[in-house]
Amino acid sequence: MTMVSPYVMRETGGNLARNIVMTVAAVVTMAVSLTALGGVLIMRQAVNKATVQWQGGVQVAIFMKPAASTQEIAAIRHELDGMVPDEVKSFRYVDKSQAYTEFKGMFSGEPDLVKVMSPATMPPSFRVVPAKAQNVQQLASNYNQQPGVYDVGYPGQVIKDTLAHFSTLRTVALIVAGGVMLGAIALVVNTIQLAIFARRREVAVMKLVGATNWFIRVPFMLEGLIEGLVGAGLAFLLTYFARDTFASFTGSDPLDPNQPLYVSSHEALLTGLFIVVVGALVGALGSGFAVRRYLAV
Amino acid sequence: MIRFNHVTKTYKGSVTALRDVTVDIPRGEFVFIVGPSGSGKTTFLRLVTKEERADDGDIWVAGKEVGALAPWKVPYLRRNIGCIFQDYRLLPDRTVYQNVAFALEVIGRSRHFVHSQVPQILELVGLGKKMDRRPNELSGGEQQRVAVARAFVNRPLILLADEPTGNLDPGTTAGIMRLLERINQYGTTVVMATHQQVLVDSMRKRVIELERGNIVRDQARGVYGMVDA
Ligand SMILES: Nc1ncnc2c1ncn2[C@@H]1O[C@H](COP(=O)(O)OP(=O)(O)OP(=O)(O)O)[C@@H](O)[C@H]1O
Ligand SMILES: [Mg+2]
Repeated sequence: MTMVSPYVMRETGGNLARNIVMTVAAVVTMAVSLTALGGVLIMRQAVNKATVQWQGGVQVAIFMKPAASTQEIAAIRHELDGMVPDEVKSFRYVDKSQAYTEFKGMFSGEPDLVKVMSPATMPPSFRVVPAKAQNVQQLASNYNQQPGVYDVGYPGQVIKDTLAHFSTLRTVALIVAGGVMLGAIALVVNTIQLAIFARRREVAVMKLVGATNWFIRVPFMLEGLIEGLVGAGLAFLLTYFARDTFASFTGSDPLDPNQPLYVSSHEALLTGLFIVVVGALVGALGSGFAVRRYLAV
Repeated sequence: MIRFNHVTKTYKGSVTALRDVTVDIPRGEFVFIVGPSGSGKTTFLRLVTKEERADDGDIWVAGKEVGALAPWKVPYLRRNIGCIFQDYRLLPDRTVYQNVAFALEVIGRSRHFVHSQVPQILELVGLGKKMDRRPNELSGGEQQRVAVARAFVNRPLILLADEPTGNLDPGTTAGIMRLLERINQYGTTVVMATHQQVLVDSMRKRVIELERGNIVRDQARGVYGMVDA
């Protein structure tokens, strides 16, 4: 019975498609921006973790093999004793159980990981503060060849590199996040403007019969909020599941140079929630702006 | 019900649309506002609903001074005023029933209230059998009846009509006028702006005539032209 002219159908269909494209664009842009922001936060967590771990002036760590014999460990200790105070300022021995405690502290958010490790599998190590920074290289090559030694890390340098690297990455990522965020806000404002235009007849009638301003505004603001939330949801998933990739951009773990830096799922979850809040805020603010601007009462 | 006290309205970059207008329309009256195009009729009606602000003078509507009304109270003022227009302003993708129900839904009336009022009012305007039609399936006269139903469904104190019969033939016009008279008999104050001489002459109601923003005549039981009643 209903007679809808082809013209009306085309116009409606066109409006809908245009709005879908705009909405998708707004959501994707929001997701990209928030993912960049999330990446920065993840990298910062990884770097903080590495830095905190190596506070206390320790600059070189001589890791023993977990199976190193008591004699091998004693030999290293003897040799280090002989280097104090000319080449080595001080050193301290971290045994298996201390290493395990340290490990548990670092990965408190990863009970599964902690479970599979035990004190027996942890490498004991000597944490050495060299007398001069230049000695680091020499110490490393000196001890690398010794029996029972698994690896020598000099995290001081690694951390310095990591920090420098991170600071560049952070600047770039924050600029990207900020620039893309401006685009995302513009797109949200634009989709809401289109929605207001598409519903201008309804809005005019609502004003005429005495609907309150909030009653008229809320649906449009909700649309912006939902765009923000969906974009943030995508960013959350990306940040959460790619957290190790983000962390690895900053460099490798100073404790174990063969391993990338690592961020626990617990920390990534908090970052993700923060991103969701930011997305919701941006969506709400963008649509709030559009509503104020284009829905004059 | 509506009182203008020395009201002046000038649009930006335009001539004065209303100049020193003083008029009192008591509750329950039926008033025509006549005058040539551009004389200020629409401006008068838009001042009543506070769609425009007066530059000078004060306006009282339903016991409230409109100029002093906080913006958030304006919607509540408008709930006391029904409006109809020459171009009906119906929502094309909604049925007759939905168009009328919309006016109640958006001011937060309960579903139960909507269900009880809408069929009743559509019966009153003679569209009880066409509730599921869309505006493009109705004649102009029928569309205007829907607009009247939408304006009246909340039982407003005032009904403002801006050339409501401008697009209708004489027979259909007469039907709409009977409907407005009936609404007036329920106690609603009706103010209608129009160009149509025959219509005003046949009704013998109060006539306020504007010319370039000035009131040039205010006559009880008047006719369109300057002929004595
Ligand atoms: N929004 C506006 N901005 C500027 N000038 C306006 C505006 N609305 C009306 N005017 C001017 O104010 C004067 C009165 O206009 P108004 O619409 O009140 O006349 P009217 O009597 O309703 O005319 P008509 O019979 O053609 O509907 C006219 O000169 C018009 O050009
Ligand atoms: Mg007019």
